[in-house]
Amino acid sequence: MAVGSGAPHKIEVRDLTKSFGSVEALKGASLYARPGEVTAIVGDNGAGKSTLIKCLAGYHTPDAGEVVMDGEPVHFASPLAARHAGIETVYQDLALADQLTVWQNIFLNRELTRGVPPFRTTRRAEMRRQAHELVSSLAVNVPGVTQTVKRLSGGQRQAVAIARAVMWSNQFVIMDEPTAALGLRETAQVEDLIRRIVDAGTTVLIISHNFEQVMRLSQQVWVMRGGRVVNGERTSDVTGVELVAQVTGASTFA
Amino acid sequence: MLGSAPAPTLDRSTDQLAPPPTRVQRVLRTARLEETWTRATAPTALVVAMIVFSVISPNFATWHNVNAMLADAAIPVLLAMGMTFAVMLAGIDLSMAATLALASVVFGLGYQAGWGLPVSCLLAIGVGVVVGLANGFFVGRVRIPDMIVTLGTMGLVQGIGLVVSKGVPVPVADDTLRAIASQSAGPLRLNILIVLVIGVALHVLLTHTAVGTHLLAVGDNMDASKAMGLRVPRIKLAGYVIGGALAGTAAIFLILYVGSTQPATNTDYVMKAVAATVLGGTSLFGGRATVWGPMLGAILLTVVQTGLTMVGVEAFYEPAVVGVVVLAAATLMRGRK
Repeated sequence: MAVGSGAPHKIEVRDLTKSFGSVEALKGASLYARPGEVTAIVGDNGAGKSTLIKCLAGYHTPDAGEVVMDGEPVHFASPLAARHAGIETVYQDLALADQLTVWQNIFLNRELTRGVPPFRTTRRAEMRRQAHELVSSLAVNVPGVTQTVKRLSGGQRQAVAIARAVMWSNQFVIMDEPTAALGLRETAQVEDLIRRIVDAGTTVLIISHNFEQVMRLSQQVWVMRGGRVVNGERTSDVTGVELVAQVTGASTFA
Repeated sequence: MLGSAPAPTLDRSTDQLAPPPTRVQRVLRTARLEETWTRATAPTALVVAMIVFSVISPNFATWHNVNAMLADAAIPVLLAMGMTFAVMLAGIDLSMAATLALASVVFGLGYQAGWGLPVSCLLAIGVGVVVGLANGFFVGRVRIPDMIVTLGTMGLVQGIGLVVSKGVPVPVADDTLRAIASQSAGPLRLNILIVLVIGVALHVLLTHTAVGTHLLAVGDNMDASKAMGLRVPRIKLAGYVIGGALAGTAAIFLILYVGSTQPATNTDYVMKAVAATVLGGTSLFGGRATVWGPMLGAILLTVVQTGLTMVGVEAFYEPAVVGVVVLAAATLMRGRK
């Protein structure tokens, strides 16, 4: 595999390792994502996909290895640091607070305020307006930004999570199985949304168990197995069957 | 786009599932919502209690009695609001009554030493803040379950109060405090007025500041809050400090109410605060709370207590009534979430 070639990568991961106690979740994983593309990571359960993206998102701190963003090495001590650097993550469990409204979730920890500290109050009307604008500009069928999230369907919740990510970073969005819990129609809607944000110039790194989806959405695909990235190719050069073989270990070559 | 296989086509017209609901449908849907009826519990029960007691006892619905009940509610309202900030974090603060007792003892020390009323008040609130910091530190940073932490601080704080005071109440005769207890501004007694002002401030904090949203978010979904970069331990600390500060404030209101410090912990206060919080529509699982709900809940409990006394029910029944209220409210909430 040709990691670290001369091409300008949006993000590049070099030899990342991460252990939890005696469990080595990442044993030196390397991959990259080209700007303006959808890059997919596939792999079986426990292959280290989620750990890898949680390292990129600042949720975990890697034990060793390097993360390079736009050619600069970066270190994220916290999710907030990663968010400040322009990396937004859509987690598998969505990271939404059910009992808060759509707009409160979109602006969570990024609230617009007025006044001087410690007497800063939130600009509720302005946040509602911007959230509404965002949701309608993405053509997301969310019933209203003043609804609480728990009253939304799975697809609508996913759309809110993606919309939030896009709101705060038009550069780089990581998605962990964005359609895992969705029906066919909602999956199609979310894929549509992902295409629209990529068309608008966002780089997307996506974890998926759905090989058809990987074939449909991505331009580059990386295969992870046992805490390592074992293969990486242009999606147009592989077939779904080949990917399955590589994920399960039945085939170790491209 | 280089994606090889074609995407399933999407007919956007099917997205708009139903025509906009009519007014009747909207009202019915609102009425069915859990949020609506949990929020309506305290106001509805308050109205019902007022009507029932007015019918049974002719002296109940007099302005004099209503005003007296509101003044009696000052301390329960403060504690209920404080408890709400722990419960919205999916926690609980069992140490509030002990904090109140210690704060009153420390207030008495300051007052006896001749430091004056303002300093003594700050001392009482300061005791609450310190206990809140300890609770918040152990719950948020050390990550010990809230129940255990506040049970521990309850014992510790209660013990310190008894040791320092030797269990002896100190009379506090202060003209300003006496005025707050007896004078009115407009129709309302000063003590409940001050409590209402504090309530408005806390309402603004909860609904119109980032901290308020963060408290609810952490109580609702801690992992999500962490993923969004919220500093969970600090937010939990803030919630418990607010609760502690209100317990300290309640100590001042107890002193002006009874005219002396109270070193003995009255654990009824904790149970009443939890009951008021739950009656006020606060989710015991965290993430959903208002300030005015528990305020009304505490007023409701005071009204029921006064009403039962006026119709001749012995005061001994009161803890049992409150206990039943807690269990009933918790049962109604069971399994939601």
